[in-house]
Amino acid sequence: MIRKLTMITSLFLLLGVLSCTKLNEDFEGNLTQSQIGAGGAGNATALLTQLYNDTKGTFQNQDQIFALWEMTTDELIGPTRGPDWDDNGVWRVLHEHKWDGDNQRIIDAFKSLNGIAYGATDLLRFSPTPQQGAEARCIRALAQFYLLDGWNQVNYREPGESVVTASKVRTGPEALTYIITELEAVLPSLPDAPATGATKNGARALLMKCYLNKGVIANRATPTFDAGDMNKAISYADQIINSGSVTFSTNYFDNFAPNNNSIGRENIWTQQNVGGSQSFGIRSRWRAVMHYKQNPGGWNGFSTLSDFYNKFEGTDVRRGTNYPTTASPVNPGNRITVGLFRGQQRDLKNDTLLTDRGGAPLFFTDQVKSIETGDNLEVTGIRAYKYPIDFNNEENGGGNVDNDYVLFRLGDVLLMKAEAILRGGTGTAAGIYGSTANTIVNAVRTNRGASALATVTLDNLIDERGRELYLESWRRQDLIRFGKFLLPMQEKPGASDPKYLLFAIPNQALAVNPNLKQNTGY
Amino acid sequence: MLLFFQKKICLLVLATLAFTATSLAQSNVSGNVKDKDGQPVTGVSVTVKGGNKGTSTNAEGNFSLMAVPANASLIFSASGYAQQEVKVTGTDDISIILLTSIGSMDEVVVIGYGTAKRKDLTGAVTTVGEKDFNKGTFTAADQLIQGKVAGVQMINNSGQPGGASTVKIRGNASVTGSGQPLYIIDGVPLDGRSARPGLSPSGLGDAPGGNPLNFLNPSDIASIDVLKDASATAIYGTRAAYGVVLITTKRGQSGATKIEFGTSIGTSSILRRVKVLDATQYRQALTYYGVSAANDLKADVNGLDIILRNALIQNYNVAISGGNDNSKYRFSGSMLDQDGIVRKTGIKKYTANFAGSFKMLENKRLGLDINILPSLYQENLAPITNNAGSTGSLIGQALQWNPTEAFRKPDGSLNVKAGDIINPLAMSEAYNDVSRVTTLLASIAPSYKFTDWLEYKLLYSINYGTGTRRASTQQFINLGDVKDRGFAAIGQNELTTQTTTHTLNFNKQVATNLTMTALAGYEYIKTTNKGSNTNALGPTGGFGQYGLDYTNYIQFSNPGSRNISSFVDPSFELQSYFARVGFNFKDRYLLTGTVRRDGSTRFGTNNKYGTFPAVSAAWVVTKESFFQVNGINSLKIRGGWGKTGNQDFPSGASQATYSFGNNGGLSQTNYPNPDLKWQNDRQYNIGLDASILNNRVGLTLDYFNKKTGDLLFPTFPDPAGPIGGAVLWQNLVGSVENKGLEVAINTNIIDKKDFSFDFGVNATFIKNEVSGLPAPIPTGIFIGQGVTGTFVQTIRNGFPINTFFTREFLGLDKGTGQALYTDGGSTFYSVGNPNPTTILGLTAAFKYKKLSFTANMNGALGQKIYNNTLNNVINVGSIKGGRNIAVSVYESPVKEAFSNPVTASSRFIEKGDYLKLANATLSYNVGPVGKVFRTANVYLTGQNLFVITKFSGFDPEVNVDKSNRGVPSVGIEYTPYPSARIVTLGANFSF
Repeated sequence: MIRKLTMITSLFLLLGVLSCTKLNEDFEGNLTQSQIGAGGAGNATALLTQLYNDTKGTFQNQDQIFALWEMTTDELIGPTRGPDWDDNGVWRVLHEHKWDGDNQRIIDAFKSLNGIAYGATDLLRFSPTPQQGAEARCIRALAQFYLLDGWNQVNYREPGESVVTASKVRTGPEALTYIITELEAVLPSLPDAPATGATKNGARALLMKCYLNKGVIANRATPTFDAGDMNKAISYADQIINSGSVTFSTNYFDNFAPNNNSIGRENIWTQQNVGGSQSFGIRSRWRAVMHYKQNPGGWNGFSTLSDFYNKFEGTDVRRGTNYPTTASPVNPGNRITVGLFRGQQRDLKNDTLLTDRGGAPLFFTDQVKSIETGDNLEVTGIRAYKYPIDFNNEENGGGNVDNDYVLFRLGDVLLMKAEAILRGGTGTAAGIYGSTANTIVNAVRTNRGASALATVTLDNLIDERGRELYLESWRRQDLIRFGKFLLPMQEKPGASDPKYLLFAIPNQALAVNPNLKQNTGY
Repeated sequence: MLLFFQKKICLLVLATLAFTATSLAQSNVSGNVKDKDGQPVTGVSVTVKGGNKGTSTNAEGNFSLMAVPANASLIFSASGYAQQEVKVTGTDDISIILLTSIGSMDEVVVIGYGTAKRKDLTGAVTTVGEKDFNKGTFTAADQLIQGKVAGVQMINNSGQPGGASTVKIRGNASVTGSGQPLYIIDGVPLDGRSARPGLSPSGLGDAPGGNPLNFLNPSDIASIDVLKDASATAIYGTRAAYGVVLITTKRGQSGATKIEFGTSIGTSSILRRVKVLDATQYRQALTYYGVSAANDLKADVNGLDIILRNALIQNYNVAISGGNDNSKYRFSGSMLDQDGIVRKTGIKKYTANFAGSFKMLENKRLGLDINILPSLYQENLAPITNNAGSTGSLIGQALQWNPTEAFRKPDGSLNVKAGDIINPLAMSEAYNDVSRVTTLLASIAPSYKFTDWLEYKLLYSINYGTGTRRASTQQFINLGDVKDRGFAAIGQNELTTQTTTHTLNFNKQVATNLTMTALAGYEYIKTTNKGSNTNALGPTGGFGQYGLDYTNYIQFSNPGSRNISSFVDPSFELQSYFARVGFNFKDRYLLTGTVRRDGSTRFGTNNKYGTFPAVSAAWVVTKESFFQVNGINSLKIRGGWGKTGNQDFPSGASQATYSFGNNGGLSQTNYPNPDLKWQNDRQYNIGLDASILNNRVGLTLDYFNKKTGDLLFPTFPDPAGPIGGAVLWQNLVGSVENKGLEVAINTNIIDKKDFSFDFGVNATFIKNEVSGLPAPIPTGIFIGQGVTGTFVQTIRNGFPINTFFTREFLGLDKGTGQALYTDGGSTFYSVGNPNPTTILGLTAAFKYKKLSFTANMNGALGQKIYNNTLNNVINVGSIKGGRNIAVSVYESPVKEAFSNPVTASSRFIEKGDYLKLANATLSYNVGPVGKVFRTANVYLTGQNLFVITKFSGFDPEVNVDKSNRGVPSVGIEYTPYPSARIVTLGANFSF
């Protein structure tokens, strides 16, 4: 009896053993670490494509880099408009300099920039070609430069390092030195063109930013500028100018137009959006500001400020112009279609007056507040966007518009060169722009339809940078370099605490990485 | 598969080789069992005391047993009746009248991988038999036991026919995942998902999912057992942490062929409305708020009425069953056609069920059970979503519609507006969404009885579901990108689970007064899930108005707007070994131990297998000679402890995963974690079962303490990692503790021949607390105008899970009409617990002669609900934009300023306490009609007849999914599909 029982039990157990599986998890629609490792260079190509795409979202969406580098300045405010746009106060604290380490905009931008740097590093494991490797490292330098500028702390890993362990952190000048070394190392391997990817000129423009801001990274409250660094910046500017690949466009807004890929002659490094098939957040540049009743209808959110509007001369094309594009409305009244929008708005099809949803005139006012409380809350604030609307693809649906996003362009390079000269660098002649700060800045101004400045000083140069580069995600860095970031501004009455020269490290990042330290004051 | 067949062949050989036992024939006994009303009782278990020989009564209440030893006693037991013991004294014809009993200790209870008698149970298990099921029209089986089981909170998430429900057994412990129990149908575990493809109506957000139990026909179900404590559930290891629900379908019974036919017809209408201004109030409000009189468009309409209707329900069931002692069968078919109360919605469901049980070989030791359940259900869905933004989904659009504006223009065409205000009638007309899910659940289970006390069983099952869904939005609707283009989306999904279970059951008296039961088993489960989606906007000029559905010619679309995607989840396999041993000494001392070892593909390589033990014991006090108290018929004290797990996280979560993106991109989407493992639950339970006052009152009390640790969570990873949604799944330190008391009392207050009255109540008192978490976890995310990126719930140490953390509202400023908050709104406070502290169920049943009436109420107390509909949809700012607002906003003593920002605060947190008359049924038992009908019964049922609550939304029984990164939300209302009140008239016949 017992024997039989034993026999049956053993047979049963044997069956169980026979049925044993290894419990390996098979991926059939994704790749594992080992599969991607076997793919070789083909995977580096796919990963590089993705890296470029990841970079696009981070810079083009309205809620990451753009929010942090623009809404914290005199160029942009995100008012709460009654039922709209409070979003837990996440926008208004940026302009008021009241953010903390739980601000979603800060969390998102910090994570995205680190993600770009990680993706670039990870790609290096998969046998990229020398040029692919150089492009990835150049993109990583861009992301790390923004991280350093915003937070003064840059997480990094070696290729293949486990992502479960805490990453190491470089800070301040050490991090900048690393970025400069990297850029200078990869520069020879980068291509000359096209501007839609990382190129030699793109790396040079970024190197200019590095040298120009070196003293700021070392001491943001009271920066000093070394003539050697300034001359480095000037030398890279001259290399860009002398490369002959960039020159003034016919119209300032050509650089941002739907077809800026072909007519934006000033552009050095852009992010390509392909109309009708694949584009990233660029559409938010006009959607976030346009009123519901405008064409195309927007989200009626962000405004610029009248103090900023008043920095422009009437003849300055950069303040706004009628810029027709394919399929744009006929605009019989020759109204402004790109730039800064103030006062009564009209239907561009027939020039009739537009009204808000309550029936009042759609009249964008000079007054705007962090929290709108009046009955006119829909219409307050001057609106601004500098990418001419791609009506052709807006109407085609799908939201894939053609405007390439501009990271670096000639106007910026020229103004940086002028600034480097003013900060102790030696003026050099390159191109048609002369060799002094005056000739260079006025070359830009003349091209934009503005009158020449008698004397270019650091004080009027920061304003010129505002006029030339508004809403291009450089303003916060510029104001800090010129010592003006903490000063009172419209809708931010007092001077800010110096801690706001840096963003707070997101608390959730501090929680998982002991190598990160919260910035002073937070 | 090949391996599987090899195993089967091997078994058959094994079975034929096995020895056979002979028994000594003595005499044949037959008889009949009736209840006190003289009705035959079917399915009564008739066993010979001290042996394993037994049978059950057939449809006429008859039974026969061969070869019963002389002087043996027969034991008659059946669910709901008191056990009777009858001595066989020469006579071969025994007639028995069974008396009803509350909480019978001899009731057969389905437990993991087997059955047991209630008297032998040592864990917390509640059984609900068919006669106690909720009455009415149900699409999913879980609704049959809503309010019936202490410790179970059940919420119908919305009124959508076939919509999902939330079932929480012994509190809320899910930091991620569904938190739903494991469902087992006749031994076959379900995956918990349905094959319905997910699709998002363009611009309107994500549609809620369907109920994974839709494929079952509720009238095929014989009983539902709920395993609650760890000593009962641990045999299911890593899937048991949220409890286990065992569904047993009906089987054929021996006797003449029996045909049952049931039909019902019903109508449903909205249960409760959200109060928005009517046309008259709206006109007054325009003046009051100083909004342009041009917004008075002179009509008098109701946005909700135009999309609602009285909906028709039809249901037909037929079942044919019969057989003899050696082969029993049951075949059934059903058709349900339930229209939803929102126009163009509803479910049409067709099911069939074949169940066969056969005993083979000369010695009848080889058994074979076959169960086949095919179903097809079609759901017509409305654009009602969980997370609609500024355009709102259909319900939001209906609530916001200006009550003075006509839905149609004077020429009869739809009034489609130019701006962003959407006509709900036009939206409903423009939107078509049809999902079809076909399922097949088939199982085959051969078994072999080696001896009277040892049986081997193999269960192989396949559960296959495939779904297709087509949704389109017509181009005439003024909806973002859809306008002048139209939108079409096609989705397809396929979900397959195969299960192989081997079990060996041992049941023997091993010594005087000591019976031992034992179970050993092996189980292998494999699940695959795959699908694809295609959607596109129309070309320039749109898909056109040809009267054809856009999904029929999607190639006409604009290539630039096309999105295509496909996926296959990483395969999921679970391999397990389990065992249970039980000792019964003198029916007085009971001890059970179980253990399961689960290995899962989902776990990290360092933690492939987990072990889940449980022990429990019970003492039947009334069997002690020293404890003989008048009035106490039985008293049992139970105690148990055990460990269970939960692996409710996505397949592939432990590995580094690279995903293919759009147009040639490839990116890392998951971090590897080789240490990833199951979530860990430890639970102890102390309970008692008592039957008192002549078995007229049954009482079950349970105290439980459940601590959930190693919380599964997609953590915010180190910043230096992949961009976007890549996460690191980890087992967090910290725990969620649920402790509480369950009380279930069933009484048989009056039990006369012509009149009886039964009353039952169950209540659960529960306390929840989170502790030890490294950082608070936010969830309850809002999307939409003015609230983007708002979280209203936080899982935080020292508070109940999902506690509302937001601004504390102090009222409106009388001068400015602006909201005032503590600390200006910059600090968030704990402002409410969304988990009920008390859950109630009440049942009453009257019977007078042939007339009977039953009523079930359920309710929950102590929970708060966030009314995001009021916050986000019908706030004061809406009237300025030409939309409607809530009556409560208009009637506020302080006039609220339009400019008062829409922001989350305690202002919108309401008491969610409710008591609902879930169903009431009046039925008349016609009895036999001539010689044609054996039985006939007509009934009238009302479901959701009323609800007592102060909550101002549609229904306090609500749970709109506002989860964030897989962390579920609790108790948030946001424009859900409204609940319906249903009245049904039906009849059942058998012949």
